[in-house]
Amino acid sequence: MTQQPQIELVSVNKHYGGFHALKDISVTIAKGSFVALVGPSGCGKSTLLRSLAGLESITTGEIRITGETVNETPPRHRDVAMVFQSYALYPHMTVRENMSYSLRLKRVPKTKIDAAVAEAAKILGLEDYLDRKPNALSGGQRQRVAMGRAIIRNPKVFLFDEPLSNLDASLRVHMRKEIRALHERVGATSVYVTHDQIEAMTMADHVVVLKGGSVEQQGTPLSLYDMPATKFVAGFIGSPAMNFVSGEITGDGGSVLLDLPGRPILPLARQATPGRKVEAGLRPEHLSLAPPGVPAIETRASSVESTGSVTYLYCGGDPEIIVLSQEREPLSSGEPVRLTIAPENIHLFDPQTGLSIGQAAG
Amino acid sequence: MMKRLYSAVVDGKGFDILLVGLPLLFLITFSGLPLLYNVLMSFQEVDIFSLGSLIRPFVGLDNYRALLAQPEFWPIMWNTVIFVVCSIFGQFTLGFALALFFDAGFRGASFLRGLFLVSWVMPGLVVGAIWNWILSGDFGVLNYILRATGLISENIFWRSDTDFSLWAVIIANIWLGTAFNMILLSVGLAGIPKDLYEASELDGANVWQRFLTITIPMMRSTIGAVISLGLIFTLQQFDLFAAITSGGPANSSNVAQYWAWELSFRQYDFAKGATISTIMIITVMIAALLYVRSTRHEVRG
Ligand SMILES: Nc1ncnc2c1ncn2[C@@H]1O[C@H](COP(=O)(O)OP(=O)(O)OP(=O)(O)O)[C@@H](O)[C@H]1O
Ligand SMILES: [Mg+2]
Repeated sequence: MTQQPQIELVSVNKHYGGFHALKDISVTIAKGSFVALVGPSGCGKSTLLRSLAGLESITTGEIRITGETVNETPPRHRDVAMVFQSYALYPHMTVRENMSYSLRLKRVPKTKIDAAVAEAAKILGLEDYLDRKPNALSGGQRQRVAMGRAIIRNPKVFLFDEPLSNLDASLRVHMRKEIRALHERVGATSVYVTHDQIEAMTMADHVVVLKGGSVEQQGTPLSLYDMPATKFVAGFIGSPAMNFVSGEITGDGGSVLLDLPGRPILPLARQATPGRKVEAGLRPEHLSLAPPGVPAIETRASSVESTGSVTYLYCGGDPEIIVLSQEREPLSSGEPVRLTIAPENIHLFDPQTGLSIGQAAG
Repeated sequence: MMKRLYSAVVDGKGFDILLVGLPLLFLITFSGLPLLYNVLMSFQEVDIFSLGSLIRPFVGLDNYRALLAQPEFWPIMWNTVIFVVCSIFGQFTLGFALALFFDAGFRGASFLRGLFLVSWVMPGLVVGAIWNWILSGDFGVLNYILRATGLISENIFWRSDTDFSLWAVIIANIWLGTAFNMILLSVGLAGIPKDLYEASELDGANVWQRFLTITIPMMRSTIGAVISLGLIFTLQQFDLFAAITSGGPANSSNVAQYWAWELSFRQYDFAKGATISTIMIITVMIAALLYVRSTRHEVRG
């Protein structure tokens, strides 16, 4: 790992007038990696991506691409390609003209352009549509043209701003794989903005979770899942979302007493400060029906949904606890259930700061 | 029968026809008939005594021949061409430049753009009177500015010099039409999605290349419409001639539309006036056709 990073963001800040849109963001992106920027709407994902592209200027901080500071470099000299959420295809040009636009501007010889278009069209399966205008294409095809326009340039960096959000669910899953396969094939560094944590988890090597303009946590997808640094990340990553129950560490520091009917006490994997107020995080997939005799949350199944492969149990009411089981649970609504969880899977967060305390081991 | 008619009106289809029919009837009565009457007159012998009757001696193309034989015909047609081409060129270029300028979206851009509409709502005669002062040979502001900047050493008598009289009207007409061009072109510019510019910028296009490869092609139908409408409006421009030069001196600033009025209402040669009008109607109709075709070519993603 002596290789120079492809992109470095050093304490990047961006203000829109009085509004602080990006707060002290530092991210390092390795060459050839696929990085996802994920977070709720309005957290500054697009702003960060557009700052990388040069479409927005940053207020303070530094952006480096292959070691070179590009703060003042206009977009066209940054050698980055961007796929817009709206695709931004040139409506007055055919697919071929859209894809070859950048090469024609550079006055690349026609034979080379034709070869490049043919190759990109082949990779993306667009050979039959080269002479159509964008308005005669389906959403998925437009998406592909937008990608073709990017890959034909062979840029240092690919930027994607929610490229799949206009597609229907099944096409989205398909394009997810295609983009990832394309990344493997082309090997260029990619930064991918999405608000869909599943996209981030399945596609990226490195995930940056943004919240309110600052980096909440970054790391590999699994490290975010296993060791969320904050309650926000814990609730954001994973589907269905983690259950949160407030509670208190018991006097011996080895268990947590939950604020639920029946005051259940669950053992912890490691010691915590006795008497401390906490927010316990229990992932639906880590909860299971307890065998008799083990300490458990006593509640009722308010509804049971089975998709065939998995069963969702909605238990209790305040707060509702969701359980995701791989088994077909022989339960019906209203039945009492006892839930348990392995001690190492209990996440604890500070109720005030939301920071993780005594992280679960994973 | 009445009942069927009534239900046809009420249940929609007949109502549609009614909606289209009424304005059409209005158009035919107040535009179509005078137009036809005008065309008819251009093939008749008309004098002050037969003015009231519809049936007059048919003379075929005699009026056209007589008109073409007049020595001032070709100079006036040539003036018309210069007037139309230069007016449209000036209005369009200035209008486009202003539209691009205001499209940059600085503070107060839309307010300033609104101010430009003032010239558009002013009647041509008023504009003509204002330009009379500006263009005045002795105390006009234009001469003052040109002298102050050293472009000319002696006053130009814009309205009475045969070399400049047509240009006096052209300048006033450019001023009058620029706002209209600017507004229509602004609307066209606003319709271009901003992300197209961003995409092309990332694709490596500089300002000039973005203008040529994005702005111009995306504005094609707007440009077509603006120029066609400009053609129609310039061919209709009468007030400025009446106010500034009255077509003179010695027909040096006379154009077809003003000449038609002169022939009809100064010399009472209604047939020749109608003949010129007919020639102009044909020209305007060709322009209108081009306009309709250009709007049909709308390109939008
Ligand atoms: N031109 C602007 N002027 C002022 N505020 C802006 C501007 N552009 C964005 N913002 C603000 O910056 C914040 C971040 O916007 P951004 O578009 O980056 O969000 P996002 O994370 O991409 O959201 P989404 O998922 O909805 O696309 C938002 O609160 C937005 O209101
Ligand atoms: Mg966004």
